[in-house]
Amino acid sequence: MAIVVKLDELLHQRRMTLTELADKVDITLANLSILKTGKARAVRFSTLEAICEALSCQPGDLLEFEPDRGSAEQAQAA
Amino acid sequence: MSRNQSTALPIAYLTLRILIILNWIYAACLIALLSYSFINEPFLMRALNLASPAENPALVMGVRAVAALGIATVPMNIAMLKRLLAMVDTVRVGDPFVAANAYRLNAIAWLLLGLQAISVVVWAIGKAVSTPAHPLHLNAGLSPAGWLAVIMTFVLARVFAEGTLMRQDLEGTV
Repeated sequence: MAIVVKLDELLHQRRMTLTELADKVDITLANLSILKTGKARAVRFSTLEAICEALSCQPGDLLEFEPDRGSAEQAQAA
Repeated sequence: MSRNQSTALPIAYLTLRILIILNWIYAACLIALLSYSFINEPFLMRALNLASPAENPALVMGVRAVAALGIATVPMNIAMLKRLLAMVDTVRVGDPFVAANAYRLNAIAWLLLGLQAISVVVWAIGKAVSTPAHPLHLNAGLSPAGWLAVIMTFVLARVFAEGTLMRQDLEGTV
């Protein structure tokens, strides 16, 4: 997917673990792990809001669009 | 309505099991009757109120053809009932919105369509061989409820397929 989730990077900057974030945002560790590894198909606004609040960041800090990554993945799938 | 207290599923499960057995019995009876009609022709003549097969050969052939078509519906009925049983099983384990059930419903819709088509053929045979002297009354033909069931099952199959896709999408939503 061309959308990259930079949760790992943000957690590293905030010196926070995924478990700590899960406790703060009240989202299961399994779901956050899906988001972190880029396996999520969609993100709810409520999830985005909770993460941005817990990490004191903007949605743009969490998500990034990388067009080359998407086309490379598509070519690989074909 | 409570899920755990629902008696519909055990009743449906048991009914479907019984119907599968009854279908086998129905097949056995039809095969026996058809075979017996060749072994003991006077028996068939008495049932049809005929003096001899030459009196109305079309009627004799027609009745045998209807019996043969009845036998042909048995595997179709059983295939349909087995798919329904598998669907009930998925409800029992709490996971009915799966692609397999959409395929099962689609197959059931085609089988229902086949059964309706056979019903029309049976009706046509009855009409063709029936005479005022030897009327043949067959309970078959264009049943509005039957055709409605075919359409409904095709629609339900599509609803299940869409529902499965929606569920897959939701599974990836965080």
